[in-house]
Amino acid sequence: MSHTATAPIHSHVPALKMGVPIPNGKLGMWLFLGTEIMFFTAFIGTYIVLRLGSKGWPHNPEVTHIRIWAGGLNTFVLITSSVFVVLAHEAMNSKNYKLATNWIIATTALACVFLGIKSYEYYGKYDHDILPGHVAESSRQALDKMVKELDKASGLLPLQQEETRLNNAIASNPNDKTSAARLVDLQAKIKALDPILEPYQKLKNKAKFGESSLHATHEAAEELKQLQESHPVFKSVHEPHYIKWGNTFASIYFLMTGFHALHVIIGMIMFAIIIILGMSQKLGSQHATLVENCGLYWHFVDLVWIFLFPLIYIV
Amino acid sequence: MSEEHSTHPASEHAAHDEHHPHVNYWYIFYALCILTGLSVLADMARENSTLVNMTGTHNAAILTCIVVLAVATAKALFVMLYFMHLKFEGKWKFVLLAPTIVLAMAIPAALMPDIGSHYYDYEVPQLEPEEDAAVAAEGAGAHGHDAHGAPAEHGAGDKKE
Repeated sequence: MSHTATAPIHSHVPALKMGVPIPNGKLGMWLFLGTEIMFFTAFIGTYIVLRLGSKGWPHNPEVTHIRIWAGGLNTFVLITSSVFVVLAHEAMNSKNYKLATNWIIATTALACVFLGIKSYEYYGKYDHDILPGHVAESSRQALDKMVKELDKASGLLPLQQEETRLNNAIASNPNDKTSAARLVDLQAKIKALDPILEPYQKLKNKAKFGESSLHATHEAAEELKQLQESHPVFKSVHEPHYIKWGNTFASIYFLMTGFHALHVIIGMIMFAIIIILGMSQKLGSQHATLVENCGLYWHFVDLVWIFLFPLIYIV
Repeated sequence: MSEEHSTHPASEHAAHDEHHPHVNYWYIFYALCILTGLSVLADMARENSTLVNMTGTHNAAILTCIVVLAVATAKALFVMLYFMHLKFEGKWKFVLLAPTIVLAMAIPAALMPDIGSHYYDYEVPQLEPEEDAAVAAEGAGAHGHDAHGAPAEHGAGDKKE
């Protein structure tokens, strides 16, 4: 290369420069996304390994209460929101800031829809008590769990404990009028529970001391249904059935989808910043990189879901 | 690409997007929707009796697995290449993503021999023989009709994975 004071340098060799030819923010976002990829692949890898190593993992959607339509709809929602965020980025490039703001508002709306469907699914899990640590994994556990729930629903135990306490108080102080009055009230309350006692005790004793087998859980489920029909106070008791590996399943399910939902919420906060800027007419060309980077983050959230959907809902 | 190197690295966005061809993002969207539909179809096909008769339930499940994971990879590539614009970025994307991918594969690889594969008999409560069989053996004297071992019902969770 010739260097003269006057001749300009025209060469096909580009001037050597440090760094990559992208804005610092974008590089930072990509580095962050690299770490996020490792974050999520840790959980997804763990799920794969746990599942492969657990013979008998529940895959029947009736048992796990996984709704494929919900997962598919969520996939569609996230893909659409990705398109919207890319169109917002294009609008920023064409300096149409109002349009960009509108696309971001649409993206955030779709994110809300995603969270809505997710919370419907989470409620379903909660309703069937498919929560880590709550799932019975053998018929013995299922029957024991039903007994515990029956006890809690009947409300008998706290009353009996209070009765014992009052009896002790009266025994140590026979002149205790308030305790005596309370005892009378309490005994009336306990008497009011009489109608439920017989069928409840019958079901409880059979479950607690009878055989523990799949057959027994089916029978208990039937009898529970009858009990719930005649005494609605037991409606909160879950139908006894066991799910092998159910606790591991619930644990990894909530871990993966929970962290993903958290990332969706963080994305929505970032979009809120852009929306506020846009609504107060402050969005300008200086925010182009910001919108692009938020878009990159959102695409990553979409990517994670693209892998979560088949792994959880289909496989 | 050389014009890009001659400008300041932190240059305005306008200089950056001049050189990439205009991508119709809606076409990518349609492709993604079709692929999503494909994976749902693959799931429905798994139960399909013709396929199961041809290959067996286990193989149908594996086939479904391969199809949906391939579909997921294709979708991911579409999003990464076009929406995230990686098709038009420089070589730095490999510098960033290669170590990430390596480490991403490291976790399952490291855990697989520990938790994923079992090369010896291991005792966990979930793998104890079906209780019906044990109880049926015990109670065969008292309740003859309890001797059933049909596990294929609600709550059983098939023995195969």
